[in-house]
Amino acid sequence: MSVLTIFTKYHELLSELTWREIKQRYKQSVLGYAWVILNPLFQMLVMAFVFSKIMRMPTLGVPYSIYLYAGLLPWTLFANSLTGAVNSLVGNAGLITKIYFPREVFVASAVLAKIVDFLLATSVFVVFAIYFQTPFTWHLLWILPIFLIQQLFTYALALFLAAANLFYRDVQYVFNLVILIWMYLTPVIYPVELFPDQYRWIFQLNPMAVIVNAYRQVLLAGAEPNYLSLALAASLSLILLTVCFKFFKKVEGVFADIV
Amino acid sequence: MPSLNSVSTISQSELNSEPAIELSHVSKLFRRQKQRTVKELLPALFGGQSAVESFWALNDISLTIQKGETIGIIGPNGSGKSTLLKLIAGVSQPTKGTIKIHGRIAPLIELGAGFHPELTGRENVFLNGVILGMTRAEVEAKFKTIVDFAELWDFIDEPVKHYSSGMYLRLAFSVAVNTNPEILLIDEILAVGDEAFQNKCFNRLKEFKHSGKTIIYVSHNRKSIVEFCTRVVYINKSHLEKTGLPSEVCQYYSETEA
Repeated sequence: MSVLTIFTKYHELLSELTWREIKQRYKQSVLGYAWVILNPLFQMLVMAFVFSKIMRMPTLGVPYSIYLYAGLLPWTLFANSLTGAVNSLVGNAGLITKIYFPREVFVASAVLAKIVDFLLATSVFVVFAIYFQTPFTWHLLWILPIFLIQQLFTYALALFLAAANLFYRDVQYVFNLVILIWMYLTPVIYPVELFPDQYRWIFQLNPMAVIVNAYRQVLLAGAEPNYLSLALAASLSLILLTVCFKFFKKVEGVFADIV
Repeated sequence: MPSLNSVSTISQSELNSEPAIELSHVSKLFRRQKQRTVKELLPALFGGQSAVESFWALNDISLTIQKGETIGIIGPNGSGKSTLLKLIAGVSQPTKGTIKIHGRIAPLIELGAGFHPELTGRENVFLNGVILGMTRAEVEAKFKTIVDFAELWDFIDEPVKHYSSGMYLRLAFSVAVNTNPEILLIDEILAVGDEAFQNKCFNRLKEFKHSGKTIIYVSHNRKSIVEFCTRVVYINKSHLEKTGLPSEVCQYYSETEA
């Protein structure tokens, strides 16, 4: 049973459950999917006002609003994916106690469903990017591997959180706190350059910091990402995914007994 | 127990004596943690209480179910019936003993679990069919049969939250029986729904039975068990108390219960 089994043998189940996640979200609301665009947009506008007009955050040649948005969008994807995943097993208790298939399908579908939100929210970013005339270069293609690394890292943490939350429901509350603190430890609202040089290495240990920086580098500066940091983040994500997947599979057998 | 042996020879001569489910000395120990949050756990640990309380939900169950048998499982609440079903469905692992399953299993999933209230009946048929192990193409091919049986064409594009519990059950049952499993697990669920539909379900289950499929039926309704099952397993206090002809075992159950 490998990490990829759900994408081969169980791909239809995975896509059905992912569609269920996506559909159920907009069915009950009037504006439906507009919310996933409006939410980060307003969040960005409020933050941009506070940090650029009141706090006077220095940035590097680009308007603060687009600088913030380039970091806020991937961060929101990360945080929302984990929020969805942490309850993905608890919320499917009825199925877990009745029928067997690999349980990581629930976690993966929760993570995959949020990509749709991310893509929709990104449309506003594209408008901003055109308006502010950010450079259009081949380096933009780096977005794809950066995104992939982010999703690997997210999936690894999601597997761990979803399983741990089945054993102790505290996990979801601790998670809410950790994700809030984590956002401030990641250069989402401030540029990493604000930090003194000798402390900046700390961000290398935080894959989300590396990922957010890499997005900004290729999107706003039209430059190539820091390969060393990115390679480090990729290796860390892969190692974490291997460990978390092993853990998940080890405890999977008792899910139906404890849920 | 001579009566037990004679029953198993009857069923073996009647049927092609190929086992569908083999349980050998199966036991299940539950370590139930009383505390669900760390806030509850910490004082308990410091107070010297044990955090875990364990009990045998099933104790040394040996049972062979032949292909084509319709097994009824009876017993009081908390006797281990649902645990047994979970073990057979493969969602829970036995602590001791072995379980062998030959063939594809479809459980009849209870209300609310496999269906999503916001989605339409149509969407839920596909969702539930794929959950039960079909491909989308197979569900597509069976779609008409499923909705015909459930008699829900008028409501198939309505969200299922507007369904009555009977309609809900009809759709769930219809999907489950049309996934064409070799072994069907039914846990009490047929108690819902009007009598006409219950009869229809039982007729469908009888067809199932006659085509040589295996059915495991858990119920408190002894009348339906006696009418429908070929053999009954009585589970009491985690033990297999008695197995044999439906009328005999149900009679025994009624006597010991009182």
